[in-house]
Amino acid sequence: MSELDLEEMYAVAISVAREAGQIIRDAFDKEKEVDTKQSAADLVTESDQAVEKMVNSRILGKFPNHRFIGEETTAVSGEKHQLTDEPTWIIDPIDGTTNFVNSIQEVSFSLGIMVNKKAVIGVVYAPIKDEMFTARLGKGAYLNGKKLKASKITDLKQAVIITEGGSSRDIKVVEDKVKNIHTLITHTRGIRSYGSAAINLCHVAAGRGQGYIEYGIHIWDFIAGALIASEAGAVVLDPTGCDLDPLRRRILCACSAEVAKGLSQILTHLDMGSD
Amino acid sequence: MVITSSNSQLTEQELEDMFNTALQVAKEAGNVIRDAFYKEKKVDTKMSAADLVTETDQAIEKMVESMIVKKYPTHRFIGEESTKDHEKHKLTDDPTWIIDPIDGTTNFVNHIPEVCFSLGIMVNKKTVIGVVYAPIKEELFTARLGKGSFLNGRKLQASKITDLKKAVILFEGGASRDAKILEDKMANTHSLYTHARGMRSYGSGALSICNVAAGRGQGFFEYGLHIWDFTAGGLIATEAGAVVLDPSGGELNPLHRRVLCACTQEVAHSLSQLLVHIDMGWD
Repeated sequence: MSELDLEEMYAVAISVAREAGQIIRDAFDKEKEVDTKQSAADLVTESDQAVEKMVNSRILGKFPNHRFIGEETTAVSGEKHQLTDEPTWIIDPIDGTTNFVNSIQEVSFSLGIMVNKKAVIGVVYAPIKDEMFTARLGKGAYLNGKKLKASKITDLKQAVIITEGGSSRDIKVVEDKVKNIHTLITHTRGIRSYGSAAINLCHVAAGRGQGYIEYGIHIWDFIAGALIASEAGAVVLDPTGCDLDPLRRRILCACSAEVAKGLSQILTHLDMGSD
Repeated sequence: MVITSSNSQLTEQELEDMFNTALQVAKEAGNVIRDAFYKEKKVDTKMSAADLVTETDQAIEKMVESMIVKKYPTHRFIGEESTKDHEKHKLTDDPTWIIDPIDGTTNFVNHIPEVCFSLGIMVNKKTVIGVVYAPIKEELFTARLGKGSFLNGRKLQASKITDLKKAVILFEGGASRDAKILEDKMANTHSLYTHARGMRSYGSGALSICNVAAGRGQGFFEYGLHIWDFTAGGLIATEAGAVVLDPSGGELNPLHRRVLCACTQEVAHSLSQLLVHIDMGWD
């Protein structure tokens, strides 16, 4: 891929994000028809599907040889994904669908592009708050054009950590997650929960919080946000401390290696399968 | 401060003046918060390692108290930072200005934007004016008793959801690190994950209640907060159609350090029945 190719892909990504944002914004205050997927807390709406369809056709129209992984197409096909070296556009049409349905503002469109199995472009657009987070590999991360820098905190006791309940209602999973929340409250300055993985990663990138941990999310939830966070100086790993596996459905993001290590050591690590 | 006779009667004009003063005070407090937000902060702790206070909290409270006392020398004042450890408050009929100079001090220290100034005014032990100003997010929530509540001038309406299974509930970890209290709070967290659509946590009680008022979430509860955290937000929520109660389902007692706010009676009732109710003492 030449620099020109990447620049062109980046421009299309931004344009597609703005268009998706408009659809989300228009639908946000209206009544929504809601279906469920894996559990009563795993929601999907016609807006999720409309956004994904629009994005899919925009991308294939411009880059017919590229690959596409989308949350809603995957939900229908039930397929397992394999990453190849080809340029792959990975999208979550609405991250934070529960927020979307319940009129909570932390809703975002997430688009990450991988080449040679590495994320090279990341765009997360939160249209209700009009916050456009972007990153290109090696070129820094930005929020509405302002360069982002993660916190410099190294002491877990001074850190505020973001975590989510997630959509699983499996008894053992919920038990472990509540245990982790308890552990986090006793070892850190506090926990926060916003309802969108992509936005959570962007918050760590922006220094609004010092860590984010979640088990059970999908590649499309975090691929863009993870690049934005690492380009802002944060670390992004598997919760155990190993390298992040993009298909392993879990992530730890921290403002510093020390906070990351502190978190890895105290948490119960859940296996949520693979994408 | 001179205490006036009980059962205060205030005219509409007087209430309007007090409301305008409250807005002015909130604006000034907001400016101080905004200026200090991105700077390094000197942090002290109060009741636990998670109960923070900064010089900004103290500066704002001092400034606000002097502004109010100057205009209304006969009114009473209850502020978070001027309340001494273990000092108990008593509510009288006198106009009483109740302020939290920075609600969400942990957020303030850690550069998280959910930070606000909260000012509630009670007369005859009822909240008549509520102002919550979040200067980093530029959101001004206001309410006057019987006149509705507003966000940046837009009228607020709480959600109409009645089924807890469709509700997203806001909660806080809180500042206590007592083992038994945390155990009960985790039991509540677990109950909500299994009975509600989801949970959110923002780090400011006042803003969480305002979020329920604005329809951004359908319920909020907390054990262990203080009168200054929820007096203003409580009025903003009820004026938007939400219910504000003691978590057990009884009437709210402003000094009992706990609150349940829900978009509807039905959601409130479901929450009351589900939660373990924690006694956190009194203000």
